[in-house]
Amino acid sequence: MIPDKVVQVLQGPAFVQVGTRNAQLRPAHAVAVGVIAHADRETVTFIVPEGRSARILSDLQDNGRVALGIALVSHEAYQLKGTYLSSRPAGDEDIALQEAYRANLYAAARQAGFPDEIARPLTLGFVYRPGVAIIFRVEEIFLQTPGPGAGNKMA
Amino acid sequence: MGILPDEIKPAMQGVIPSHVVTCSGDGTPNASAISQVYYVDPDHVALSHQFFNKTVRNVRENPRATAWLISPATFDAWNLELEYDHSETSGPIFDTMDMQIEAIASMVGMKGIFKLRAADIYRVVTVTKNVGERIPLPDIAAPAARR
Repeated sequence: MIPDKVVQVLQGPAFVQVGTRNAQLRPAHAVAVGVIAHADRETVTFIVPEGRSARILSDLQDNGRVALGIALVSHEAYQLKGTYLSSRPAGDEDIALQEAYRANLYAAARQAGFPDEIARPLTLGFVYRPGVAIIFRVEEIFLQTPGPGAGNKMA
Repeated sequence: MGILPDEIKPAMQGVIPSHVVTCSGDGTPNASAISQVYYVDPDHVALSHQFFNKTVRNVRENPRATAWLISPATFDAWNLELEYDHSETSGPIFDTMDMQIEAIASMVGMKGIFKLRAADIYRVVTVTKNVGERIPLPDIAAPAARR
């Protein structure tokens, strides 16, 4: 079960990174824009731009293993690991969620003192549509806030 | 002949955190932020080993890694395919990284938390500039926060 604090961080605004690997154990990375923590507290959807989705989906169809890193502007960070369930093209609701996610991330970065010339391209500058929504079952959660406790398993 | 282009160097100054994905020997990926991908020479980079974390354990089981870097000057991003080579706990690369980690820690309010234990040296296998993934700056309007 995903703890309340992690659900809150998943709802953003957060920087989101995806990790997968292929059959040769070669890792792949993608930036995700927008995350949905589902009411069952066990499944999560993240949205990757279509242009980056081919390798990620190929890896997931091969072995299903996925890592999702989420970090607040404050450096508080978590990593969720689990198993791929399904994917679908991002729809209008997803795009609305992504647009709110980006806007809130920009506001958080500005509030944290990022100058506009960094905050704007860093939070709003990634192509995010068309996107692919990828759903996975969360099986492990780790603290990743920098410090000696980083890597500790939470659930 | 080296494969890291000069234009990637601003992305290796630690201004914007980089990300590294590794994979354990049993096939579990790990995605982690890293303060800096340090330029060693045209074919090698160093990643900071600050805590005995999953990235460090993974590359000792499976040397393959991928790093994502973004330039604070142009916001161009790159993916590097890497292979872990060896670890250094002293010498010029370690000393320079140690100083830079101190500076980054001070800049982001993490002084006393970031502490370099080793410079992990990786061979660069491929460099890919991520083309077509950025929205041109003039097209990015600053929106109001909303829920």
